[in-house]
Amino acid sequence: MTIILGTAQLGFIYGLLALGIYISFRVLNIPDLTAEGSFTFGLAVSSVLATAGHPWIGLLAAVAAGCLAGIVTGLFQIKCHIHPVLAGILTMSGLYSVNMFVMGERANITLIGIDTVFTDVASLIPSVDKNIVKLIIAIVLTLIGTVLAVMFFRTHLGLCIRAAGDNETMVRSSSINVDYVKVIALAVSNAFIALCGGVIAQYQNFADINSGVGILVVGLASVIIGEVILGKKSVTIGLVSAVTGSIIYRIIIALATTYTPLSAYMLKLVSALIVAIALSVPAIKQTILLQKTKKGGV
Amino acid sequence: MSGNEKIMLKIDNAVKTFFKGLPQEHTVLNNLSLELKEGDFVSVVGSNGAGKSTLFNAICGTFFLDGGAVLLDGKDITYQPDFRRAKWIGRVFQDPMKGTAPNLTIEENLALAYSRIKKHALAPAISSKEIKLFRERLATMEMGLEDRMKTKVGLLSGGQRQVVTLMMCTLNTPKLLLLDEHTAALDPQTSEKIMEITNRIVKENNLTTMMITHNLNAALTTGNRTIMMDEGNIILDIHEEERKGMSLEDLLNMYSQKSNRVFDNDRILLQKK
Repeated sequence: MTIILGTAQLGFIYGLLALGIYISFRVLNIPDLTAEGSFTFGLAVSSVLATAGHPWIGLLAAVAAGCLAGIVTGLFQIKCHIHPVLAGILTMSGLYSVNMFVMGERANITLIGIDTVFTDVASLIPSVDKNIVKLIIAIVLTLIGTVLAVMFFRTHLGLCIRAAGDNETMVRSSSINVDYVKVIALAVSNAFIALCGGVIAQYQNFADINSGVGILVVGLASVIIGEVILGKKSVTIGLVSAVTGSIIYRIIIALATTYTPLSAYMLKLVSALIVAIALSVPAIKQTILLQKTKKGGV
Repeated sequence: MSGNEKIMLKIDNAVKTFFKGLPQEHTVLNNLSLELKEGDFVSVVGSNGAGKSTLFNAICGTFFLDGGAVLLDGKDITYQPDFRRAKWIGRVFQDPMKGTAPNLTIEENLALAYSRIKKHALAPAISSKEIKLFRERLATMEMGLEDRMKTKVGLLSGGQRQVVTLMMCTLNTPKLLLLDEHTAALDPQTSEKIMEITNRIVKENNLTTMMITHNLNAALTTGNRTIMMDEGNIILDIHEEERKGMSLEDLLNMYSQKSNRVFDNDRILLQKK
């Protein structure tokens, strides 16, 4: 029971990460490595503020921190003309120092015994089991995030972002400033990712400077698993499927650690393989088709 | 009519050199000057590398000129960023993929183009009023696209995509319409249909238009003016009256006289339909 609850809780919380990754990877068409830095940035800001007695403000600050990280990457791209992937790597790398500074030059912060958004809500409804409360908070936060993201992509600005990832020339010829649109998209994407980090810190009562390592792959795996199940017909479906993918990803991880001899440290390798295999499906299909054609029967 | 005398586009001594200071230095626009009156429909012809597309790029701001000026409706836009001036300039490329976003639906593509008129960032992407307008406009194209508003543009044929692009460029009446061999990638029948639609839209809105074409016959019969380019400049500028009795041979002879070369566009179409 605890495993199921824990898996669901993580699945929903990391759904916020999947939303952010979906926006940069699928909508904007950039694998944005800023994620690894902004996730920890959100985590750091949130845990420091929670320690100071402001867990809710901590989450808001995490959102702001993510926006900031996204804007920096965006400016690297559009003002300095740095390759999108490299721009993300630069921000990620620089954020390591920033995060260390935010955490008061400590590599980790423990929040045990400190008020978090989870203990806050739990104390309001003492009759409900704490793990259920955690799940409810996780669901509510991710639901709000998903609804806001869906609504955002139905606005004019949202449409501009989608078009910018699809055909930049066309957006420019429609008299829209593509540069500005890209920066906004990266800000929104990283805001979700940093919020996820902020919630995770308070959820696990622990913040570590290395929490962001490999987080992009986790997000990509969620997005891709979601697409396999729900498809990618529209942005709305894409966003919902990203969250769904995150939950299924956590289930896979839970099953793998419970029923196979895989240790927890193997999970990053498993995640990387999931993404690599999923992304190579089109190429594999093509090869199979070619083999069939060569043999003369299609 | 006094309205006809308004100068819509003025290019003054445009100069552009690529790879300046390098062995492959190449002057693509060589002191080119051109004036278009409001409502002018100009066909542009020229041999390979004459600078036709470069001229369009200069007008659109794909790059900035090394010298000279571009004035649109009296306003100096020489150093205005491309996306700013795109508000008043519509451009249809030869490649049907370039003008539309394949993963967006027809109505989304149109809505984006229509937003050239100021739209609030957080306003709904498409209003029902807009959908109605798009449907009506698409219906006039007679291609059945009005019933496929929610189809992703990537699923349309090249001709259909060019129609959508053409509509995107003219939903808000532009001050200048640039057609860069916009029918060249299409089969003859579709090409003819697109030209028909083009002519109608240009006429209805009295659009100032420039059209690059490699169909010399079309160049002589479309619009009211034909210009011929060579080595980054305009070597022939033939207006309505002068153009009337002109044959393809006359045009080619004039070209040879002016440039001392034989017209050598490898894609040129000489045949009469």
